[in-house]
Amino acid sequence: MNLVFALAAASLFGAGAYLLLSRDLVRVVLGVVVISQAAVLTLMASAIDRGDAPIYPLAFGPISDPLSQAMALTAIVIGMAVTALLLVLVLRVTRAFHSRALDELAEEEAERDHRLERRHAPSQESDEASAR
Amino acid sequence: MTELAVALLVPWAAGAILVALDGRRRIVGWLAVAALLGTIASLVAVAVSAPPAGALTFTTGGWPEGVGITFRADAFGLLFGLLSVGTLTAATVHEVLDGVREREFPGVVVLLAAGLTGVFLTADLFNFYVFFELALAAAYVLSVYGRTPRAIGAGLVFTAVNVVGTFVFLLSVASVYRVTGTLDMAEIGTRMARADPNAAILIAVGFFVAFGVKLGLFPFHFWLPTVYTGSRPAVAAILSGSLANIGAYGILRFGAELLPRELALASGALVVIGGASVVYGGVLAVSRRTASEMLAYSAIGQVGYVLMAIGIGGPAGFAAAILYTVINALNKTMLFLTTRIRGTLVGAVFVVGALSVAGVPPAAGFVGKLELFQAVHHEPALVVLLVVGAILSLVYAFQIYQYDHWLLGRGDEPSRWQARVVPFALAGVVLAAGLWPEPLAAFSQAAADVLAPR
Repeated sequence: MNLVFALAAASLFGAGAYLLLSRDLVRVVLGVVVISQAAVLTLMASAIDRGDAPIYPLAFGPISDPLSQAMALTAIVIGMAVTALLLVLVLRVTRAFHSRALDELAEEEAERDHRLERRHAPSQESDEASAR
Repeated sequence: MTELAVALLVPWAAGAILVALDGRRRIVGWLAVAALLGTIASLVAVAVSAPPAGALTFTTGGWPEGVGITFRADAFGLLFGLLSVGTLTAATVHEVLDGVREREFPGVVVLLAAGLTGVFLTADLFNFYVFFELALAAAYVLSVYGRTPRAIGAGLVFTAVNVVGTFVFLLSVASVYRVTGTLDMAEIGTRMARADPNAAILIAVGFFVAFGVKLGLFPFHFWLPTVYTGSRPAVAAILSGSLANIGAYGILRFGAELLPRELALASGALVVIGGASVVYGGVLAVSRRTASEMLAYSAIGQVGYVLMAIGIGGPAGFAAAILYTVINALNKTMLFLTTRIRGTLVGAVFVVGALSVAGVPPAAGFVGKLELFQAVHHEPALVVLLVVGAILSLVYAFQIYQYDHWLLGRGDEPSRWQARVVPFALAGVVLAAGLWPEPLAAFSQAAADVLAPR
């Protein structure tokens, strides 16, 4: 049972990490969602194998810990809110840059850095000229 | 006990109301400042009423201890709470004086304060995660403040990286519950000593990665320059001056209180990572040409010192780490706020910050560096590293001074007095803390005593 949960959480995390590394921003968000599911699954697995489901009327014998399931619910809610926020940000970026491919955004960034370098260069040159 | 509940409720309730109002109106901005000042006042009330060497605890809903969610205010948590809400207030006053540009800014700032006070005062591991997410969600919204394409791009990077960081944190929380069966942070410390060392090391690594991402340490720093240079000065000041404190707090609290054995085991690695941060941040900051880029890389270097002090450990190391975090937060808030202002004496304010970063008296940074030297004096290699780091910071800070205030500064229009008053006040605080460091040093020593009793 433990091994099944561990393998499931690990493969979810791996799939999420793979998606995170892709170029498309929506895939990146999906990667975040999958990683959040890995965390939720680990949270549930941390106490699920201790007995039966903690539903009233309680079964005779050991029951599993309901606290970890309460925590999992909280984590799911937080994960949903954060995912919504991320999707809004992706929408904003898509509108601002007219692209949702990461390498195109990086190109734009590099171009801006280049402009910034040029801004400083003339002032130094003119200083050297006046010094001469 | 009531003071503690008030300190948590004030920013929470005020923030929930303020997000609904139009923050561009001046009155709403000042209401947010009032709420932040109210939070500081209630934190001071908690600090006054707490027993000198102990902690004030409070269990929600009147449940017996061990069942309800516990809050615990000790000197360590209170120092970080006061520092973070204090720098947050300074940045908010600056932005309100200068004119708020987005309607959600004041409310979100107050909600960030709610998350931060919760993080620093909770004694429950899962509650820590919830408050951590609350503070971060507020920070995600703040990171796109200004809505320029650059700010939005930076906000996306910041959000994506930190969301993954918090899920790594959650994975470690789940593992802690699995291993110890409790969420009470004091109880975890005692039960962790009996846990399987392999599991404990994995948990400790998860926490370290989560807080390292938050702090912007060397291997986890990749998001930091984009975000700090892309966002507005007030937001960069908030992110580096108050939000990043969670990282230092987390490594100290989780390392020294929850996983002391693993912290001792990793001390060599922490010193190496800290040293790498110092050198990497310093060297890259020297190569930068704009103030905000220089400050972003300098932030990476400065947290390296904190990590080195934590790695050395013991009462002296923890006290140095805490004091250095406090001073670094003040420096960064002040310097980020000066990046876009020009005019009489702005250069002087920048010089005070630069001296403080490099650790030259009479600025407060000297006291921090002194404590660091005291903690590492028996390790010659680390002393050399500290000196090299200090020289690098002098070079990069005065290089930017030269670009911004000598070469380019002359022709620029001086900024309005509204934009200048808060950096001036912060420079006064940094100088005062450097000239009379006794209260700050005593407070950080008391905070370190919580973690490692002498």
